[in-house]
Amino acid sequence: MTTTTSTPLSGTDRLRTSAPPARHARRRRMRKDLLRSRIVAWTAVLVIGAFGMLPVYWLLATALSSPEQTFQFPPKLIPTDITFSNFTALAENDQLITYLVNSLIVASITAVLSVVVATYMGYSFSKFRYRGRRSLMHLVLASQMFPQALLLVTLYAVFSSFGLLNTYTALVLSFTTFTMPLCVWMLKGIFDTIPDALLEAASIDGASRWRTLHSIVAPLAAPGMIAAGLFAFVRGWNDFIFAVTLADKEKQTLPPGLVSTYIGEFQTAWPELMAASLVVSVPVVVAFMFLQRYLVGGMTAGSVKS
Amino acid sequence: MSTAAPPQKAAPHRERTGGRLSNGAFALLLTAPGLALFATIIIYPLVSALFTGFFKQDLRLPGREFVGLDNFTYWLDGDFLTILKQTLVFTVGATIVPFVVGFALALALNSGLKGSGFLRGLFLFPWVIPGVVVSFLWMWIFNANYGVLNGILMKAGIIEESVSWLGQPGTAMLAVIVTKTWASFPWMMVMLLAGLQTVPKELHEAASMDGAGSIRRFFAVTWPQVRGVASIVLLLEFIWNFQHFDTIYVLTGGGPAGATETFATAVYQTAFKGFDIGRATALGGLWMLLLLVLVAVYLRITERKGDAR
Amino acid sequence: MTTSGISRRGALRMFGIGALGVAGAGVLGACAPSGASTSSNGGDTKSKDFDFTSWSLNEEAAKPSIEKIIAAWEKSENSKIRAVSYPYNEYLSQLTLKLGGGETTGAVHLDIAWLAAVAQMGKLADLGSAAMKGGYTNVALDSGMYDGKQYGLPWNTGSIGVIANSKLLEKAGIKKHPTTVEEFEDALRELKGLGGGVVPYAAATKVAQLKDIFPWMQTFGCTLLEENKVTIGDDASIDAVTWYKKLHDEKLIAADVDRFDARALFGQGKAAFYDDAIIGKGVTAAQSKDKTLADAMQPMKRPVLRAGDTPQALLWGGVIAVVKGKGQDAATEFALHTTSDRATTTEYFAARALPPSTTAGLADPKVAQDTFTTEWTEKITDTATGSPFWQFARNAQIEEAVAKQVQAVLVGKSKPKEAMKKAAEEVTDLIKR
Repeated sequence: MTTTTSTPLSGTDRLRTSAPPARHARRRRMRKDLLRSRIVAWTAVLVIGAFGMLPVYWLLATALSSPEQTFQFPPKLIPTDITFSNFTALAENDQLITYLVNSLIVASITAVLSVVVATYMGYSFSKFRYRGRRSLMHLVLASQMFPQALLLVTLYAVFSSFGLLNTYTALVLSFTTFTMPLCVWMLKGIFDTIPDALLEAASIDGASRWRTLHSIVAPLAAPGMIAAGLFAFVRGWNDFIFAVTLADKEKQTLPPGLVSTYIGEFQTAWPELMAASLVVSVPVVVAFMFLQRYLVGGMTAGSVKS
Repeated sequence: MSTAAPPQKAAPHRERTGGRLSNGAFALLLTAPGLALFATIIIYPLVSALFTGFFKQDLRLPGREFVGLDNFTYWLDGDFLTILKQTLVFTVGATIVPFVVGFALALALNSGLKGSGFLRGLFLFPWVIPGVVVSFLWMWIFNANYGVLNGILMKAGIIEESVSWLGQPGTAMLAVIVTKTWASFPWMMVMLLAGLQTVPKELHEAASMDGAGSIRRFFAVTWPQVRGVASIVLLLEFIWNFQHFDTIYVLTGGGPAGATETFATAVYQTAFKGFDIGRATALGGLWMLLLLVLVAVYLRITERKGDAR
Repeated sequence: MTTSGISRRGALRMFGIGALGVAGAGVLGACAPSGASTSSNGGDTKSKDFDFTSWSLNEEAAKPSIEKIIAAWEKSENSKIRAVSYPYNEYLSQLTLKLGGGETTGAVHLDIAWLAAVAQMGKLADLGSAAMKGGYTNVALDSGMYDGKQYGLPWNTGSIGVIANSKLLEKAGIKKHPTTVEEFEDALRELKGLGGGVVPYAAATKVAQLKDIFPWMQTFGCTLLEENKVTIGDDASIDAVTWYKKLHDEKLIAADVDRFDARALFGQGKAAFYDDAIIGKGVTAAQSKDKTLADAMQPMKRPVLRAGDTPQALLWGGVIAVVKGKGQDAATEFALHTTSDRATTTEYFAARALPPSTTAGLADPKVAQDTFTTEWTEKITDTATGSPFWQFARNAQIEEAVAKQVQAVLVGKSKPKEAMKKAAEEVTDLIKR
């Protein structure tokens, strides 16, 4: 970085340099620095932007191509015979809507359940001191590392014997195995930022512990709760391993659903798969554009302060 | 920058304010729903699965037979070390690379570019597309015989013949890491950007006035401010990648010739494709043993950060 | 800053909890549900409604004709069929999970290679009496048998063989199909010489379909299995893999190819040979821009090691089995109707070029006069044999174990001799387990 391009000096600049009051030189260097950092910044944005966005472009281009064109090599970088049939075909596919609805339901319930449970747990971990707290906390946090594939072996057998396979219950419970520890961890961080003095004040004012939690602490922690919920939602929305194993047609979520709809024995319907992926992702992307400030605030609240 | 935890404070609530329950009991009551859930869906399945590792058992058939350590020696004499190595390569690669990419982008977006808010939102796209779709998209891009990557590289004259990205042990792992990077750099970027935005502008200006170059400024001013966020995203991503499944399963299925097999794919495929849950859970058990080591490290980190007050 | 002391204490406690957990495992483990039960999936066997699970419902080419069969049945019987599908490469695993969990009932479409694995679960009904009514050919009936019982009604019985693109062969100046391995190799080199990214032989090189190497091993003289003793690892199998590796290194076959890729390459006119079932003609031609390709597709006898040897081919086909329990009776009727009703099978043949499994169906002029089909039968199916590993419940794992070792050779991670020795060990272990 020390050898980056130096900006060409204009005549007047050079003139000024010849009589150098220290302050001028510094200011000039700052200006040069600013320009240089702009160039570096734009280069970074462009390079990473290409990495980040070209695949999205290819997703779109494929979704707009006819099946024959997708198997051409070398591929046409700009699709020539554009077709929307891959998109219109989606509307006729009820099954896809079932998957979408299932995904939304399961991911939302998982998020809400995880946040509610984790709020109490995180609050307890953050604001109380008792025997075993530390061990418990570590166990819950460490459980994020427990192999999902391993849990799944038993969960499959248990759900199977209770007749719970292919139900929302099985999906929500299994998703909770990875969302709950994360939410506890995030929310504990949030509660840690709420000063103990506030709780002291509430208790002096005569508020009960429940009221303190529900009417004073919870509203303050709301952005953090939203963030934890969003995180849980995305993790649930993305899950493949649990859903593919525990659910079937009626209760299946999108990730395995897309696979079982478009991947066949004889051909992979790339254009349709891409079109479907795009359509189902757009609402979530838009929602996240609006909600991202919560995500950021909540996620970093507990950590940035240090 | 105080990493020392404040001295243990007395609990904010006094016994007298509460009502019938003592503070300890109230605190435990708060954890009760979580604990009940935790015990049923995490601890019980885990312990039960670990126990299965000592049996020869087929997922499809009733009954099982105690075989002692056979299932464990099967792995230890076989692929254990290879899988461990590959898991580590994937985990470290898929944590560091997106971190670097995400950080670079965060720094760029933080330097006051126009429209950085919009860009930040746009970059979230890859993160929200279901992971499996991401894998299929990249599988399609990497395809040896009609993939767009080979197409572009050939047009540019960089390669002469199609490269089988997913069909060669070396490039397959690389491809998997690139794919995972694409899916996870956005959220790291968002977190790091948030961290960067807490760095006061004045600090930079002051340092700049003192004649600090951009690299010096980065280490003297920026890094200390974002270190907290950085360690958190790194830690989380590391944990998640250690048991990441979809990308590898879809992209390579652990191949070619087992070159991208990780613990997660090996346990899953042994259990749900080979139906050999004895061997699958034995591998899971070995994995858990390793995790104990990681947990110790994790504890040290969280303790030192003072998070676990 | 007493953190390190605290953390050690915390860690110790955690480990303590872990130890407790392990100690308690005996108790928990004892009451852990152990896999699937052998009982039926429960429910009313007389129910008119049932499931039909088939991977073909995922195929654009097959879906409409199967949906038509289903709709017709629903209409005439006034019943409801729950149609379920999984991708072919995931099918066995998914079906097993869902069958074990009791979600899958009714009729299930099975590749004949999977019959043993599914039948072993003890959930399939014996269809012996229904099979008597079907008028199936003996070869077809055999493909639905496991352990002396008729678990599947044969839907289609055919084979997997080599398909050639006669236009490409002509272009390379190859006048007749190569009959020996040597001639085949020469032909591949000629074709490679055409340039333009031609993959002379789009052989499977991905694990999912690398089982295609079995017929080649047999061509080189390996029997695969003799009286429950695995013969993979003998010189013949090593020769076959060495040869495959040679083709790979000379780029006469391409890396990272499975059945999809092979069809796509062939469809673009960039592959001269590939392995497929008879059904491949329709599928591959349909996705090709070149509408004359279908006419250029020719079934070819697999080249042999020495002139006069019997060409090797793998039997391939589908059967419909029925799960004991809910809707069992109706599902059996449906399976019988789908596989043996003359009008239904003829129409299905017309749509998919999959020959039926009944004597009457095969005699139907529409089937009997189809040149591609008759040629296919003559050149490929007539000498096709089933895999000796099909009888084992872990057939899929056996095929995968061998495939992985072959792949290790192709990518240069292993030598043919070591790889085949390892494959033999793994297969032997899988047969016993």
